[in-house]
Amino acid sequence: MDRQLDLLQGTLDMLILKAVSLGPLHGYGILLRIQQISKDRLEIQQGSLYPALYRLEHQGWIASEWGESENKRKARFYRLTKTGKGRLQAETERWNRMSDVIAGILRTTSEEV
Amino acid sequence: MTLWSRFRSWLRATFGRSRMESEMDAELKFHIEARAEDWVRRGVSRPEATRRARLEFGAIERAKEECREARGVTWLDFLAQDLRYALRMLRKKPIFTAVAVLTLALGVGANTAMFSIVNAVLLRSLPFRDPDRLVRIYFNNPGVGLRNVRFSVPEFDDLRTRTDVFEDVSALVSGPTNLTGAKQPEHLEVLESSPNYFSMLGATPELGRLFGHQDFALGFAPVVVISDGLWRRSYGADPGVLGRSLRLDNDLYTIVGVLSPGFRDPGATIPAVDVWVTAGFSADPYPMPARGTRVLPGAIGRLKPGLTLAQAQARLDAMAANLRREFANDYPPQAKWTVEIVPLQQSLVGNVRPMLLVLMAAVILIVFIVSLNLGGLLLARASGRHQEMAVRSALGASRSRMMRQMLTESLLLAWFGGIAGLATAAITLKAVLRFVSANLPRLSEVNIDWRVLGFTLLISLVMGLLFGLAPAIHSSKAGLATTMREGSRGSGYSAKAGRMRDVLIMSQLAFAVVLMVGAGLLLETLRELLRQNPGFNPSQVVTATIYLPHPNNPQLDPYLTFAQQIRFNRELLRRASAIPGVELAAMTSNLPATGATSSDSIGRTNSNSLAIEDRPTESSGDLRAEIIRISPDYFRVMQTPLVEGRFFTEGDEDGKLPVAIIDEATARRYWWPDHDPVGRRLRILGRFAGRNYSPWKTVVGVVKNIKHDGLDVDGVPHVYVPVNQTLGLLLSLTLRTSLPASTLEAQICGAIQSVDPGLPVFNVTSMDNVLDASLESRRFAANLVAGFAGLALLLGSIGIYGLLAYMVGQRSREIGLRLALGAQRADVLRLVIGKGVVLAGLGIVAGVIFSASTASMMASLLYGVRPHDPAVFLVAPLLLLIVTLLASYIPAWRATKVDPIVALREA
Repeated sequence: MDRQLDLLQGTLDMLILKAVSLGPLHGYGILLRIQQISKDRLEIQQGSLYPALYRLEHQGWIASEWGESENKRKARFYRLTKTGKGRLQAETERWNRMSDVIAGILRTTSEEV
Repeated sequence: MTLWSRFRSWLRATFGRSRMESEMDAELKFHIEARAEDWVRRGVSRPEATRRARLEFGAIERAKEECREARGVTWLDFLAQDLRYALRMLRKKPIFTAVAVLTLALGVGANTAMFSIVNAVLLRSLPFRDPDRLVRIYFNNPGVGLRNVRFSVPEFDDLRTRTDVFEDVSALVSGPTNLTGAKQPEHLEVLESSPNYFSMLGATPELGRLFGHQDFALGFAPVVVISDGLWRRSYGADPGVLGRSLRLDNDLYTIVGVLSPGFRDPGATIPAVDVWVTAGFSADPYPMPARGTRVLPGAIGRLKPGLTLAQAQARLDAMAANLRREFANDYPPQAKWTVEIVPLQQSLVGNVRPMLLVLMAAVILIVFIVSLNLGGLLLARASGRHQEMAVRSALGASRSRMMRQMLTESLLLAWFGGIAGLATAAITLKAVLRFVSANLPRLSEVNIDWRVLGFTLLISLVMGLLFGLAPAIHSSKAGLATTMREGSRGSGYSAKAGRMRDVLIMSQLAFAVVLMVGAGLLLETLRELLRQNPGFNPSQVVTATIYLPHPNNPQLDPYLTFAQQIRFNRELLRRASAIPGVELAAMTSNLPATGATSSDSIGRTNSNSLAIEDRPTESSGDLRAEIIRISPDYFRVMQTPLVEGRFFTEGDEDGKLPVAIIDEATARRYWWPDHDPVGRRLRILGRFAGRNYSPWKTVVGVVKNIKHDGLDVDGVPHVYVPVNQTLGLLLSLTLRTSLPASTLEAQICGAIQSVDPGLPVFNVTSMDNVLDASLESRRFAANLVAGFAGLALLLGSIGIYGLLAYMVGQRSREIGLRLALGAQRADVLRLVIGKGVVLAGLGIVAGVIFSASTASMMASLLYGVRPHDPAVFLVAPLLLLIVTLLASYIPAWRATKVDPIVALREA
């Protein structure tokens, strides 16, 4: 496994939104899914997960409701809202643009300056 | 719509606090258990799995805290925290809190009481239907300088027929009347009006009905409406009162209605009207209506909707011009007769507005002083809390947070003070009102309503901010390193704070000076007025007043002819003189210092036109004097000296030569110094008749001026005529006696009623009381401002004391050092007192300058005192200086008692 990459707060929000966009999950499930779709290259600090979830809910990108987990226990499930979907899209585009710019800068050789 | 979801989650956070907490707990618990499950599935024992799961999660409490913050901790939480802390702080210093709350309560209470008066009298609209459309109608002769002259019935009808300005008009005549036929004879105030009076005002009856079209009559309609007060007093609130009859001045009226208790006529509160009748003013007892027969004193009207005051006035001006042209005989061109309308509210309260505004300003000044005082004390305390502030900011509190904390303390204090003040004002309002002059219009409407409550809240808030802002800003600026370095005791006496406090104290003292100067001027005025020679000797004179009935039906009038009145007068004087203890008895139609009714009232006045022989009569308004009927011994009873000629005698009666006595003012205006008035003749224009003069009267004497209209009114001409030569209705007995009025009252009533048992007697009192009463409102205002000035003085000295005491406390180490190094006690005294004197001096100078520049605004309230009276401007600052010196002396003396060893040891 590669070294854990340090995550910025903004990117954690984006990842949560993406994870939830694939289907409603409870907090622990979101953690596992991010790990899963990052092919285990990314591990989230568990302590920062819930504050991020609460913040996203406060802002209205995700919504929560109580439901039953796989082993019949009560858990709070989060799902993406319509506005959240738009937000995810916007953030994704921004991220891609940003990474293009950064990558371009980093590719610059001494001759092109 | 993140705004909406933010709001929703804020709502949930504010109100579903505990549920949120338990949900969060459950969620986190689920997370950890799920993690543990995963470990268990990989073969770890359960307890080990749980432990690992918890470890992996990390600091759970911090996560919870962050979760809470993520939800948006509400300002409500901060507020609750701040409040709890503020309460704790206040409880720690109970004396300070008590003193602060008390002074605040004083400031707020005074403001609340004063504002409730201002609100009821000046701000609230009159309690009638659409009060903005109501106007008072004045008839003026500006060409000869006369305002509010009487008008005739045709002129009144013109208001309805010749112009379309008014929806409704009503004439008004008020005056005294004798009520008989009820429980006992009573002296009441009656209002005669047009039938539409009540409907114009929108009044409603409590019982029965009010006047309407069916009550139209040329003379008086035989119906009467009584007040709620009279109904309860004389009829025991009996619902069967309708249809009963009573007699007013011997005329019979039937009661048709009782007015609701809240109704007040648009006039002065005293005397309150108890009976209302309606008339057309065109038959007995009024003369035949003619344009030149001007009998009516007052009128009010309701403007047509949609008409502005200016438009209405313009139309009335046009109407007046037309009338002047058409009836040139009745309108001498030089008089320039016009009709003027003034909004009713303005006509009622216009003349008390200045006094009320001055009082309101004084009270607000007190608020400033109290706030500044507290601000200074709080600032001193804040300096002592530098340590606390520094630690807080080191722990991460933001500047705004600390400011908020300090402000919360101040606002809490202000809130307590405000509540206390409001409660005090509410409880004492009735008592306070009793001290206010009864002449204040709309006094009965004063109460605490929403506007007053809002004002109280505003004042408390402003005060809280005023005295809270300075310490709050100051403490939030606490520089970390410097304050923590300044030693454990914290010599919190930084230069900046000290300067702010100095400015606060100086402003306080300046305000105190302004108030003291104002009080001084008003008190001086009062003293001047009391020193005035009223023109007579009021001590040992007892008076009683009666009113002869004036029935509409002349056949019912027992005092119609001279013979009847002369017989009554002589018999009454005989019996009055016979009362044991009475040295001399006399009668007059008007007591001195009771004032001819003011120009704004609608009652009867004595001002009459004169014509003087050998003097061209330019116009009917040119020569005027007040006519007073007296008995021969009157001037002897009042001990008014004779300047020239003689007093009246018993021989001056109807049928003999008509005579008159004038006062110096009349003589000066019309004869002196060129001519001698004695022996000259004058005649008086009858009040009702248009052109009927009385027969020529010969002037037989000149007396010194008597101040009839009040101690502050000079130079009004008076002409005295014998009671036995002029018919009249109002009579006051004046008795020279050394016995007090209370002892004589029963005998006086007995004497009068033995002559005529149907005559109510009222106002049995001493002349001294009458004079005192005339100064009532001035005395009240002067005492009030003096009270405020005293309060300001007290607060200012407390402020200086507090500041110097704190300074000594903070610098005790320095003082101990000085003493140890050889300074004398006197040097220490000089140090402390010197500071006090400098502060006081600067403040006083500022105050004197401010007073001097604004004193002329008070000129209208003064009498016999210049606004820049040197005595006042000298004494007030001097007094303040002495008091502040005393206040400085105590902490200075304490400073000298500082033990150097102890002070130095407390490093």
